[in-house]
Amino acid sequence: MRFAFFLVLVLVGSVAVLVMGRSGSDRADFTYVNPSDLNTLDPASMTWNHDFRIAWNIWEGLTTHHPETTLPVEGAAFFPTVSADRCTYTFTLRADARWSNGDAVTAADFVRGWRRALEPGTAGDYACLFTDHLAGAAEYYAWRNDGVRRLTSLPRGSAAWRTVFAEQASQRGERFAEVGVGAVSSRELVVRLKRPCPYFLDLCAFPAFLPIHASIEPLRVDFEGSGLSAEGLVLYDPQWTKPDYHARGYPGLVTNGPYRVTDWQFKRRLRLGVNPHFRDAPALACRTIDMLVYRDIHAGILAYEAGEVDFLPDTSVPYDHELVRLSRTGLRPDFHCPVVFGTYFFVFNCADELFEDRPNPFVDARVRRAFALSVDKRLLAERVLGRGDPPTDTIVPPHSVVGYTSPMGLGYDPDQARWLLAEAGFPDGRGLPVIDLLFNTGFHQQEKVCDALATMWSRELGASVSTRGKDVKSFAEDRKRRRFMIARGGWYGDYADPTTFLDWFASGNGNNDAGYADPRYDALLEEAVGETDADRRLAILSLAEQRLIRETLPVLPLYGYTQLLAIKPHVRGLYPNHRLIFPFSALAVAR
Amino acid sequence: MTRRLIRRLLLGLATVGGVYVATFLIVMVVPGDPFSSGDRRMPAEVARALRARYDLDRPWAYAGQFLWGAMRLDFGPSFLYKDWTCTQIISGALPVSVTLGLAAILIAVLVGVPAGAVSAVHRNGWFDLSCLVCVLIGLSVPTFVTGSALLTLCAVYLKIAPIGGWGQLAHLPLPALTLSLPFMASIARLTRVGMLDVLGSAYVRTAVAKGLSRRQVVWRHAFRNTGLVVLNYLGPATAAAMTGSFVVEKVFNVPGLGQHFVDAALNLDRGLILATVLVYASILVALNTLVDLVCVWADPRLVESLN
Repeated sequence: MRFAFFLVLVLVGSVAVLVMGRSGSDRADFTYVNPSDLNTLDPASMTWNHDFRIAWNIWEGLTTHHPETTLPVEGAAFFPTVSADRCTYTFTLRADARWSNGDAVTAADFVRGWRRALEPGTAGDYACLFTDHLAGAAEYYAWRNDGVRRLTSLPRGSAAWRTVFAEQASQRGERFAEVGVGAVSSRELVVRLKRPCPYFLDLCAFPAFLPIHASIEPLRVDFEGSGLSAEGLVLYDPQWTKPDYHARGYPGLVTNGPYRVTDWQFKRRLRLGVNPHFRDAPALACRTIDMLVYRDIHAGILAYEAGEVDFLPDTSVPYDHELVRLSRTGLRPDFHCPVVFGTYFFVFNCADELFEDRPNPFVDARVRRAFALSVDKRLLAERVLGRGDPPTDTIVPPHSVVGYTSPMGLGYDPDQARWLLAEAGFPDGRGLPVIDLLFNTGFHQQEKVCDALATMWSRELGASVSTRGKDVKSFAEDRKRRRFMIARGGWYGDYADPTTFLDWFASGNGNNDAGYADPRYDALLEEAVGETDADRRLAILSLAEQRLIRETLPVLPLYGYTQLLAIKPHVRGLYPNHRLIFPFSALAVAR
Repeated sequence: MTRRLIRRLLLGLATVGGVYVATFLIVMVVPGDPFSSGDRRMPAEVARALRARYDLDRPWAYAGQFLWGAMRLDFGPSFLYKDWTCTQIISGALPVSVTLGLAAILIAVLVGVPAGAVSAVHRNGWFDLSCLVCVLIGLSVPTFVTGSALLTLCAVYLKIAPIGGWGQLAHLPLPALTLSLPFMASIARLTRVGMLDVLGSAYVRTAVAKGLSRRQVVWRHAFRNTGLVVLNYLGPATAAAMTGSFVVEKVFNVPGLGQHFVDAALNLDRGLILATVLVYASILVALNTLVDLVCVWADPRLVESLN
């Protein structure tokens, strides 16, 4: 009897707890799957493509992307007037640009958004887009970061700390006035660049350049009325991105794009509804959009097959080569595999000495070239990966930037590789230490590629290779500390210009884990910066890339990234493109 | 009794504290930066300022603050998911894991106990042998295999269940059934062994000798005493079902706590690691204590076991 009582207790408990769960049964007009939840909805600090995808649909920058070509088109502002020296852009905002609470979008909202993207604390990985292009931004950024450094190195509350803090708090406004973005009136925004930037309109659509509504200001961390935290950072209550957060009179997330967030359940679902104040709101065919989180992409594919999902933006599964084959043979026309704006590569450690003071054979460019020449990339792409990733010798994806001619790479030539290795003092691989090949685990292709590379280098060069897989955090740590000989790399371009890839290898660049420093390469990049003629500039950048991939080889490009997408046939207005930009405002679903 | 209970609760608290300290020490020595995400880097001075803000460079201060916050159910921010606090994440996921775990144990008991009892009564019969096969399958086949098979069969081919997700009653049976299988197998074996033991005991023989019907002997006298064996197993089993459902959560896309625990560990999200470990440890200790109390309530002779 007592036992039965216990069972009933358990039963009642189960049902009670289940009832506590929130219901999510109503289906949206359009549903897609993400393998994880958004890392953040703060445009200033977002770095992941799946975060961008939502940002681009709930906010609208000065420009936005054409759904098919991804070229910049007019967004919250009309196309700007550009000064004769192509350094000053004057944008006029649309009179009918509205926030989701009905407020007019103003130039000050853009200044607020751009400033957040530059302030230490809210600034994310893309602060460099401002410091590289906006007049005065690098100076402001350096001054602020230096202030933070000084504040954190001084005892809090000391006289010296108070002096630095007061200086940071009081001079911030004055210093920021020298940064090249300013609101002339509520609808007029003037942007001054440090030098002409042919892709600036493309940048204006980037999430870091989105406007932010003034309602977030009460959520700012404010130490003694300074507008800063005690560490000198600009910080906000991170809950500001929630639609249902109402602390200190906050109205919940206010955005200015075609859609707004109506519900966000962590790692379950994010729902978008139409922003009723958006200028084209009545014309939007999809009124509700769901982003469902399916951690197991196999389950996501099953949901797609069962018709519960309309779009899979990423179907990276061990059997994806089979899906690609079905797509190419026309058996599954709903699967698409576009070549995207990214390159998979490995970097050679170019430092004079390895970790633990061991001699580094890769300090010699001939060894790097030998290793690059002995990789049969076509074999790798066709036999090892088998999903149509295009083998490449270049770091900038070929034909991805209009007007840019990719240089010739090294190709596959094992005879020359052996000759170069012998020339460098390692005939038939004799004298080479065991090559440490570092990669991050968690992606099924990585291990296969590393094993194939190890086999090729062993067969062609007589090198003994040890592959070392680490979880992504330890991998990043090892790469940052240069504890590798060869390490996996990869990069997706952020804007339509070769420099989004080439800047990686500039001396002193934060991502240059190869420790590569080539004055001639740096000089070519600098020359391109000063070149005002667009064609000549691209030609110089092509020379720089040639230096990188034919002569000095700090990097071994292997193949261009592809992305396998699945789009249900009843979905219209979603175009597989190389930048994976999917504006939902063009969507139409006819089930 | 009260003194024993208080002592038991204090011991439970000490266990949770020990787990917290051990986890904290591990978290501190693991290499990696919780603020790095992917390929791009934060300026060193900003990373330092953030580390200072969250007391990451003063581990013991951080440990103390975290514990103080935890007592007020404020586990601080998640470093990986910047827009969420650990409390929000856990409060969203814990009811899901609890529901799934309880439902799994319920299924396991409802099927496992009768199956074990019938097996014992009809020892070496066809039902007993069939049960043995099922038990072996339940114990040896991992849940990602049984889960995937059930999902494919019921959701894709038969279309009698949704493909994963959470929020409706229809989302519960498949993951709960999958999660219950190993527990069901164990409960069936325990019940069978317990029943056989009891059926061979002197008081059962006496009951039979007194002329009681077979049904009365089995269900009224033998079965009730077997229940205690199962009840003892239910504490750790319920805790294991609530805390060990990561694989099932992943296969059926159930937003439970297991995924956060694994993600937090992989991403060195220190606050979330500590918070999930604290929650898991508390569940384990609480359920074990609760079951011990229920056992004492069911069999007062066991009061000594509270020591």
